[in-house]
Amino acid sequence: MPYNSILNWIVFTDPMQNGYYPYSVYNLPYDIGLKLWELLGGLIAWLINLLVPGNCVSTWLVCDQVANVFAIILMVVVIFAVGFIINLTMIWEERKVLGRMMDRRATKIGPLGYFQCLADGLKTFMKENIAPKKADKKIYWWALALVIGVSVLVACMVPLSGRWFIADYGTGLLIIFGLFALAPFLILCAGWAQNNKYSLIGGLRAAELMISYEIPMLLLLTGVILMTGSFNINDIVNAQYENTWYIIPQFLGFIVFLICAIAESERVPFDLSEAEAELVEGWQTEYAGMKWGLIMLGDYFRGYVACALVVIMYLGGWMLPYFGSTPVPELVFIAKVFLVFFIFVWARAALPRVRTDQILNIGWKILMPLAVVNLAIVIALRMGGVF
Amino acid sequence: MTYKYLDKYPKKFRGTGVLKPLWMTLKRMFKSTAHRPVTIMYPYEKEWVPDNYRGRPGLRFDRCLGCGICVRVCPTTCIKLVEVADDSGNMVKRPQVNIGRCMMCGYCAEYCPVDAMTTTTDYELAEFTREALIYDPRRLNFEGTNEMMEVHIEEHLLSNLAKGIEDKPTAFFDTDRPTLDASKCISCQKCAKVCPTHAITMVVVGQNDKGKDIKNPKIDNNLCVSCENCVIECPKSALKIKEVL
Repeated sequence: MPYNSILNWIVFTDPMQNGYYPYSVYNLPYDIGLKLWELLGGLIAWLINLLVPGNCVSTWLVCDQVANVFAIILMVVVIFAVGFIINLTMIWEERKVLGRMMDRRATKIGPLGYFQCLADGLKTFMKENIAPKKADKKIYWWALALVIGVSVLVACMVPLSGRWFIADYGTGLLIIFGLFALAPFLILCAGWAQNNKYSLIGGLRAAELMISYEIPMLLLLTGVILMTGSFNINDIVNAQYENTWYIIPQFLGFIVFLICAIAESERVPFDLSEAEAELVEGWQTEYAGMKWGLIMLGDYFRGYVACALVVIMYLGGWMLPYFGSTPVPELVFIAKVFLVFFIFVWARAALPRVRTDQILNIGWKILMPLAVVNLAIVIALRMGGVF
Repeated sequence: MTYKYLDKYPKKFRGTGVLKPLWMTLKRMFKSTAHRPVTIMYPYEKEWVPDNYRGRPGLRFDRCLGCGICVRVCPTTCIKLVEVADDSGNMVKRPQVNIGRCMMCGYCAEYCPVDAMTTTTDYELAEFTREALIYDPRRLNFEGTNEMMEVHIEEHLLSNLAKGIEDKPTAFFDTDRPTLDASKCISCQKCAKVCPTHAITMVVVGQNDKGKDIKNPKIDNNLCVSCENCVIECPKSALKIKEVL
């Protein structure tokens, strides 16, 4: 039996040649996942083959079908890991920018204070996992899991570029909006389940917040959809590259959407459901330790999605004007997301929390008419043949 | 309802209230990025403190008289006179300070007639045990004591102002002196023994019926620091502190 080199087992194949490749276009995270599996599975197959030469398990491990399954699993891990790192960087950015705006130093742990979130995560991880005795346990745990799960899911649904996506489907933006709007409902459930007055008020406020900004937000979405003629994120970004960034014809819509996005991700000027000055910790009062840490992470995931939506709908996504798609469009996209998140942090540093009646006033008397005006502008431009 | 708060703004600018804080925070961000924020990274860098900063009290051992004014003036009674050996081996009384109780008011330094007690710029006083917080007289010594650390409590006397002297601040130990009510004195000499500056000498003023000398204390006003030890010690309350100016 001749010696079987490891290079016979680890062959970096072209993902497009895989008979079970699930996409029609090139997908980078799938490619990374496939290559990771070729390394891992090839190594295992080679080791088994050393012990039992000519066995069927080794060939099974590296065949197209199995490689495809594991590539998809690893691809999801890669997409989540990248989203997670973006998220940590956003937390770091928030802390740094907020510190400078308040004329103080921000985090100092690690290089430029980057490891502070890791230290926080470790700290919350060390805490005891407790639940209130009289809470509705089933909903208490499920609502928490779903809030975090939905936040992470919607963050993973956001494509970073034409080649970095989980699924390229016709109703991409609509599904992101749909999943995005699920969180307030689950927050209401969580607030009810905790059997605590602060949590309940927080949950009710989340629902109240939702009815005041969700409608202008969807009206603004309509404006973008009308200009593009498609819900597909790829189409929207390409249409913005071919014509112009939608921030220019729809500047009004951009401002209104920014406000709605801050409200949607429940960040400071509109964090009524948390409101740590009035309600102890809002709807998260009885969630202690790592549960709270994960809720915080989920909040930032939704903040990331809100920024990503602003970038996709108004700032041209991963395309740059005149340059088009750069060699690493993902980095362009992430840079734009950080830029939009800077505005979020800026608003947090400058503005106090609105009252419950003010948010309804703002939502229905200001944002809603402005959204309708924006829609009228879009329709006029569309009828006039400008777009 | 909400318009109650909006009424103070001109109608034209209503709703632009969000722009000013946004502008201010942006300006502050650029400023604190170009220069540095106000934060002082404490263990690595320290804030500048003036020399007469009210840190822990310091003691110049050789100047101290052991008069006990600091003990009596201390609001938290953290100072205690203890007997220690001085440089030549004699036992002398010197103040010992319980820093755990000290409130850093600096009264001991302000009232010290010979500026032996000073304030210091030392404020990092944490210890692992309570016993370690008690500073004995030798430990109270502070390297780098300078004249700015000698703080005084002085007043412009009304009598000086009446005379037209406006620039002569006077300390209390220059104005107050113990005075003797000779009819109460029993010639016990306790005042002379207790005087830290040896300002009191006993002088013979006459003889009693049995032919023994009657001695009354005579106070040298130049040496006296009006520490009141004699007044406290006097068994018959014959001595009283009085303003002599």
